[in-house]
Amino acid sequence: MKYVVWVILAIISLLSIFPFYMMIVMGTHYNEDLFKGIPLLPGDYFVENLKTVLKADFFRVYVNSLVVSISSVILATITSCTIGYSIAKFDFKGKQWLMIFVLVTMMVPTQVGLIGYIIEMRSLGIGNTLWPVILTWAAFPFGAFFMIQFMRDSVPNEMIESGRIDGCSELGIFVRLVLPIIKPGLSTLATLVFLWSWNNYLLPLVTINKAEWYTLTIFISNLGIVHRTDYAARMMALTMTTIPVLILFLLGSKTFMKGLTAGAVKG
Amino acid sequence: MLAENKLNTPTASRKRKWGPRMWPYLFALPFVVTYAAFQLYPVLYSFILSLYDWNGISDRVFVGLDNYIQLWTKDKLFIKSITNTLIMMLMFIPITLILGLALAYWTFNLVRGKQFIQTINILPYITTPVAIGFIFSYLFDWQTGLVNLLLVKLDFLQEGYYWLQEEWSSRAIIALMVIWRNLGYFMIIFMAGMTTIPQDVYEAAKVDGATGFTLFTKITFPLLKNISIFLVVTAIIGGLQLFDEPKLLYGGWSGSTQVGGPNNTALTIIWKFVDESFISNTRLGYSSAIAYSLFVLIVVFSLISFRAMAGKGGG
Repeated sequence: MKYVVWVILAIISLLSIFPFYMMIVMGTHYNEDLFKGIPLLPGDYFVENLKTVLKADFFRVYVNSLVVSISSVILATITSCTIGYSIAKFDFKGKQWLMIFVLVTMMVPTQVGLIGYIIEMRSLGIGNTLWPVILTWAAFPFGAFFMIQFMRDSVPNEMIESGRIDGCSELGIFVRLVLPIIKPGLSTLATLVFLWSWNNYLLPLVTINKAEWYTLTIFISNLGIVHRTDYAARMMALTMTTIPVLILFLLGSKTFMKGLTAGAVKG
Repeated sequence: MLAENKLNTPTASRKRKWGPRMWPYLFALPFVVTYAAFQLYPVLYSFILSLYDWNGISDRVFVGLDNYIQLWTKDKLFIKSITNTLIMMLMFIPITLILGLALAYWTFNLVRGKQFIQTINILPYITTPVAIGFIFSYLFDWQTGLVNLLLVKLDFLQEGYYWLQEEWSSRAIIALMVIWRNLGYFMIIFMAGMTTIPQDVYEAAKVDGATGFTLFTKITFPLLKNISIFLVVTAIIGGLQLFDEPKLLYGGWSGSTQVGGPNNTALTIIWKFVDESFISNTRLGYSSAIAYSLFVLIVVFSLISFRAMAGKGGG
């Protein structure tokens, strides 16, 4: 039985990693060779493909995507942490209503307001820039809910009280005492927001149509349609796109699990 | 006032002073304000738009519920997009759930290599959908695709099958893409839940003579009920908004403007919505009505699934 389980796990893991592996391998071949046979081993066209990608303004697009994801992470974690702290650790009038508000916001899919959002952005004069893709993360209902749960479980009330007795200001308590404790939750939330904003396809697709502001997903799906369709170069670009998130996950996989266990799951 | 001098225990001062009472509101403010500005306002604005006939440029014409009536009674493509989405959800949700749970259970009970298996299986989840779209259209290509080459070589098929051009296989491939992407995520969430089950429950059951399968059905699964509800409800909400996979499988790469896949069998609700508002048309009022219909569907389906699952077994 033990061996059967091992074999099944091995097969599923192989299937999981196979397309991922293909992406990397295909990026190292000459484009026209991709359609001749099955490339299972890395080819020798790596450097050439890399050159093609870098020539195509890849660097600026990469920076665009980094700007979008990092700003989104900062905005989403700030608003989520503060409202999480407020609901989880204070008693005040209207707290129940605020909690219900957060739960309701979680049920409203962003797409419902998409058209209104785009028109709003246009009338603010920032329609065709990176702003729409960032601001959509400013209030992140899942993050708020996650942080409420996480703070409730992992921030001891005594610590906040003793901070108050010691004369620490409320903001000081939040920044110096609370934030260090919720680091695992913070990094889980930050990783997820980074991942989702990095891979976001729909919103940049319908808002950005200036090449100057392309993000990676839009850039790559438009790459080389006009000239020769260079799939190999695209795979190369995709591999490079996946690397930052991969590093984030590998570095944080332990805290990530810890964060998930303590936060979202108990809800 | 006077209170400040009288008492300085934290609870008392919180009651009397103006400052401390403001803090919870101040902390809640950034979320509430940004939500109102960038989510609530657009959502309400879209609702108003859904009552108008508007192409974004000319004058708006108020049409009341006409958009909705036309959508639900005359637009066959919209109904088809709902059916398509539901069919694909029926394909991928049960499989992801069952396979994810099994995978989590097996991996969780491994003595070594837990971390390794987890990491490998989360890779698809972090891969950008653009890559997934291309990899799958490459794998299932009629002429050069790996799948056809293998099947022909192994004599299962005489000649290549048109995977991407047949109604059911196109849906199945999209479902497969979703399963492939989400399996690792489901597994990790299930495993996170398993770590919260106290080990002594297992020890006690083992003393009573319970074995592997009974342990799973009698202890692990019931204790994971809340997580299963969470996953099913979020999968339904996410599933109804399916867009990236079908869109990128058809057209995201080739630059073709083919909408909906073969005979519109891969057209999902969101794809229909995006197409009506930004790609083929600019019927902003009409597509706002699509968005709101989707919203209603999401609320109905998530309530039904929540009731059905939470009711079962009575806790």
